[in-house]
Amino acid sequence: MSSHAGPTGHRPEPDDAEVGRRFAAGEEQALAWAYERFAGQVHGMAVRAFGPGPDAEDVTQQTFISAWTGRAGYRPEQGPLPAWLVGVCRHKIADTWARRDRQRRTAEAAVAQAQSAPATAGPLVDSAVADRVLLLGELDLLGQPQRGIIELAFFEDLTHAQIAARTGLPLGTVKSHIRRTLERLRTRLEVDDAALHA
Amino acid sequence: MPHCTPETLALAALREPLPAVDDAHLAGCARCQAEVASLQRGVDALAVPQLAAPGPAVPPPPAVWSAIAAATGVTATPRPDVVAAAVPAAPVAPPPVPPPPLPPPPAPATVTTLRPRRSRLLLAAAAALVVGAGIGAGAVALGDRDDDGLTVAAAALDPLEESGASGEARVLERGDGTRTLRLDLTAADLEDGFYEVWLIDEAVEDMYSLGVVQGGGEVTLEVPPGVDLTEFPVVDVSVEPLDGDPVHSGVSVARGVLA
Repeated sequence: MSSHAGPTGHRPEPDDAEVGRRFAAGEEQALAWAYERFAGQVHGMAVRAFGPGPDAEDVTQQTFISAWTGRAGYRPEQGPLPAWLVGVCRHKIADTWARRDRQRRTAEAAVAQAQSAPATAGPLVDSAVADRVLLLGELDLLGQPQRGIIELAFFEDLTHAQIAARTGLPLGTVKSHIRRTLERLRTRLEVDDAALHA
Repeated sequence: MPHCTPETLALAALREPLPAVDDAHLAGCARCQAEVASLQRGVDALAVPQLAAPGPAVPPPPAVWSAIAAATGVTATPRPDVVAAAVPAAPVAPPPVPPPPLPPPPAPATVTTLRPRRSRLLLAAAAALVVGAGIGAGAVALGDRDDDGLTVAAAALDPLEESGASGEARVLERGDGTRTLRLDLTAADLEDGFYEVWLIDEAVEDMYSLGVVQGGGEVTLEVPPGVDLTEFPVVDVSVEPLDGDPVHSGVSVARGVLA
């Protein structure tokens, strides 16, 4: 991320933090800079999830489009722009999984109907697919430092001791935040389950 | 023995190693186990490799920026060299703009029952493609004249999942337009099974089997006429068990992307 001193030597290049502030302010050049610097990371995630091809490209494209149109939701003081873009990308990946899952079930239902198969116990919903969309939304609602802590645990696979070392927070604080966040996610899923079966 | 603390059970849900005393208690306590399981559903949903922090960067093809610019109306542009960095070195047709819609839903299960198994396994390995895409492109000089024709595409094959296997593939085109894939594979000898060579599409969904190769050997395989290598640019080497199943085992040891 540090080497973007391109051949265009005379054009002053702001640092990442400045790009983040200008992005939030809606300066169009900041979208281009953000793409120059972070599209590779975002696309790398998309390719990891879907392999190279149209799905990954769609995720990368939608990530930047949503980030731009939703830039009011980005708060530079809460974290760097690339981390926020990565969060948006997670949503797009989860949304793509959910869309595929819906398509699969629609296709299966159509086949069952065409074959006049007796109705089974309902379409096989991949609950993890739905859970992901729901819980990523719940993560967005977390304040700091809870959000940063659980992201380090989930997405960087750090232990609570490593998180404490990384953040400088006391071990006990990290543990209790992890506990409360996992409870919160559990509650969110229970509420959703209850709504489904109401 | 007292129950584990709520914080400890949360760490157990994250699959962190616990102190021995907690481990011992948890092994025999249904109540604590149930608590861990209930907290784990959220962990299992989100702590998956596909959502993990970014790994290796992959430059998106230029069409991605075009689509973003079109959708947002933004006229500022990234430096052309950055956007163009994703253009393959070889004469590959530029990707279409805008990206095509999602692939159609899978065909009814009665038609292709083997397919879901294959795709799922391969998708898991698709992540490693990223490495190959970066290293493979351009690693072999194109245009070399050979007895068997002109090298029109090449790929360095990089190991998947620390398999230790690696190799080099080049596509040679003869004067009459027919093509061969020459593969030089360095890989451990297999006691059971064999290495099979595939051409796979970028979605890692469809593929052609080209034939069998020995680890530590070079082989020349015919490329089926009419197969578009820009659509099937991934050279994949799998380990196939002696089970008589013609479908890709899902266990790939080396891959590269033709460029």
